[in-house]
Amino acid sequence: MIHPIQSSLATKDGTVLFFVVKNTIHTLRWEEGRGEFVAIGMWVDDADNSDTIKAKVREEQQRQLAENEAKRQKTNDGNSNKPSIKEAKVPVPGQGAPPVFKHIRNMALSRDETLLMACTDSDKALVVFELDYTNAENCLKLRKRQPLPKRPNALTTTTDDKTVLVADKFGDVYALSTKEGVVQEAALEPILGHVSLLTDIVVAKEADGKQLIITADRDEHIRITHYPQTFVINKWLYGSKQFVSTLCLPSWGPNLLFSGGGDSLVHSWNWESGKLLDSLDISEIVEPYLGDAQLAPEKFQNETNSLIEYAVAKVVTFANIPYIAFFVEQTKVVLICRVDPDIGAITLAQKIEMPFNIISLSSALSANLLTLTLDNRDSDDSRFAAFISYDGTEFLVDAEKNNAFEKCVLHKFENDPIVNVEPRDVYPLYHIASLRKRGEHFS
Amino acid sequence: MKAGMSLDDPSSKRQAYRLKKEENRKELKHVKIDAKASSEKMDLPRKRFYRQRAHSNPFSDHQLEYPLSPDEMDWDRLYPHFVDEATGAMTKEVTIADIGCGFGGLLIDLSPAFADKLILGMEIRVQVTNYVEDRIIALRTNHAETNAYQNINVLRANSMKFLPNFFHKAQLEKMFFCFPDPHFKQRKHKARIITNTLLSEYAYVLKEGGVVYTITDVLDLHEWMVKHLEEHPLFERLSTEWEDQDECVEIMRNATEEGKKVERKKGAKYVACFTRLPTPEIV
Ligand SMILES: C[S@@+](CC[C@H](N)C(=O)[O-])C[C@H]1O[C@@H](n2cnc3c(N)ncnc32)[C@H](O)[C@@H]1O
Repeated sequence: MIHPIQSSLATKDGTVLFFVVKNTIHTLRWEEGRGEFVAIGMWVDDADNSDTIKAKVREEQQRQLAENEAKRQKTNDGNSNKPSIKEAKVPVPGQGAPPVFKHIRNMALSRDETLLMACTDSDKALVVFELDYTNAENCLKLRKRQPLPKRPNALTTTTDDKTVLVADKFGDVYALSTKEGVVQEAALEPILGHVSLLTDIVVAKEADGKQLIITADRDEHIRITHYPQTFVINKWLYGSKQFVSTLCLPSWGPNLLFSGGGDSLVHSWNWESGKLLDSLDISEIVEPYLGDAQLAPEKFQNETNSLIEYAVAKVVTFANIPYIAFFVEQTKVVLICRVDPDIGAITLAQKIEMPFNIISLSSALSANLLTLTLDNRDSDDSRFAAFISYDGTEFLVDAEKNNAFEKCVLHKFENDPIVNVEPRDVYPLYHIASLRKRGEHFS
Repeated sequence: MKAGMSLDDPSSKRQAYRLKKEENRKELKHVKIDAKASSEKMDLPRKRFYRQRAHSNPFSDHQLEYPLSPDEMDWDRLYPHFVDEATGAMTKEVTIADIGCGFGGLLIDLSPAFADKLILGMEIRVQVTNYVEDRIIALRTNHAETNAYQNINVLRANSMKFLPNFFHKAQLEKMFFCFPDPHFKQRKHKARIITNTLLSEYAYVLKEGGVVYTITDVLDLHEWMVKHLEEHPLFERLSTEWEDQDECVEIMRNATEEGKKVERKKGAKYVACFTRLPTPEIV
């Protein structure tokens, strides 16, 4: 079978589409005249991460040596047997060790769309690509690969595109240049941090052009921090009742921000005033689409085995129409809501059901086009993705595009050894549910 | 009861003691203690019944209670003497916080010195928090005629995660970090209660001119705290002359349980205090 597509990302005009399968990024261009997708670029993360691991082991050895040396000098024992430096060994996973997945996560485009950024799991690195569409062979040109201390969970750029802001699993945000040149890991200092896992990061611009970083975490917090003066916190947005998994900053609403997460609500905020403007309760709307996938894990289940848990995985918007779209993890339905830009009120406009569970959702901002990737494991290699466009009055599934995409993907993947897998080798596709806090530590 | 345990087993004695105190706490915690009702003196809690593992991991998901926002916090339950009878609103807000207050010695000594301020201890360990609660209940009961100790209380909280759930911007005048856990082993020291990134949160809840007090017997930790506070653009170290004339420094040196332990062992105590600078113009 062909591996499902884990995520996608489109340029604002919707003509170029990037998507991830396992450890590969693929790039397609939409040829409007011919009604076809054409493959224009690809990158495989084949980094033999033993190099990065070796570098880390070496760094750690040096640190320990320095520490022992310092201790030795302190205790002042004359014996100066210097321990010999051994060649750094790469630990080999033992039997029964969990499988290693070389996910590529969090693709993002620079604001001017000349750079593509992503994070690799293999060595916890930020990768930056130049997009060179004149290169007929491959439009993706790797500019740099910057290893990071912890797994990055989200990224964005500052308004001038000179800096990438990377938010990680350990709660820290690092600011890294988009230019060439890699910084030593030990020299990296976070510019801000939560004592929690960060899930998303966006940059808002005030009327006078000043920038604010908005970060979301697993402890219900949405925090706003000045940039570049990240030592000055602007405020917190209070009201999320569970972990926050996604932030969405529209360009059309004055100071509007949307968030979703584990509390069955989609919130709209005014990030300037700090006010929670509206919370759409989605529990009744999604109820018909929930199933076994939403039953709480056994360990936390109730006596009647009826405890349901679900979370909004992603909220997206468009450049010029006041709509947001979102979905709940492991469901088939994408929900589209109209928003009153002045007061932030959210009203359900449309529900569109897919043939399979949705894995990811992205938006081509000015093309009013949504791309969904689907968990098509039971499909016999069809329906990898679905496109939904706006015709001026409503959102409709674009069957022509779906077919064109499928044709292109099948052709491209036919003999690709990476994406042709056994069902048991499919990467984990759902990552949001595990963010739920369990409060297991009572003391 | 587990097999092999007898009634005079110390752990079951502790169990029984804890149960009794818990009932007492439930009953007395949130009621105003008035002088007539409580002519009887109450025993102070005994520390040995509240023993607990020395460390609690600040990164894990604890079973914690905290308000969604500072506006939703019920302070009246903690400081019933500072509630306006007519409106039910608080007449004062907390302006002094003891972060990782341990067994509460500092709160108790600060209470008479700052009788017109509300002082809050935050502590992550349950049993230790219970001890401080019981201690305050007993003190309030035993001083019912003078209403002493009504201005202090304690909350079980992970201050490294949830400080902004309790305090508004610029609410605090003083924050104490007394003998914090040194976390020797952690390489990156993110577990320490003073880090570059957490200092920005402390600066947020402190008002301009507010003070961060630190004291420790671990030189390495002292140097670490000084380094990070000095590096932070919103803090500036106060002079030793300032320290010498400040009454809190005097209290902090001697009041806390950890400080007393260090005293008995004739260990060194390193003090450093920092003022919250005005926020610079945002660019
Ligand atoms: C070494 S004790 C010092 C106690 C007290 N300040 C004294 O001087 O006696 C440090 C205390 O900080 C508490 N603590 C550590 N991390 C904390 C956190 N994140 N939030 C609240 N309390 C914390 C510990 O449970 C411990 O009781």
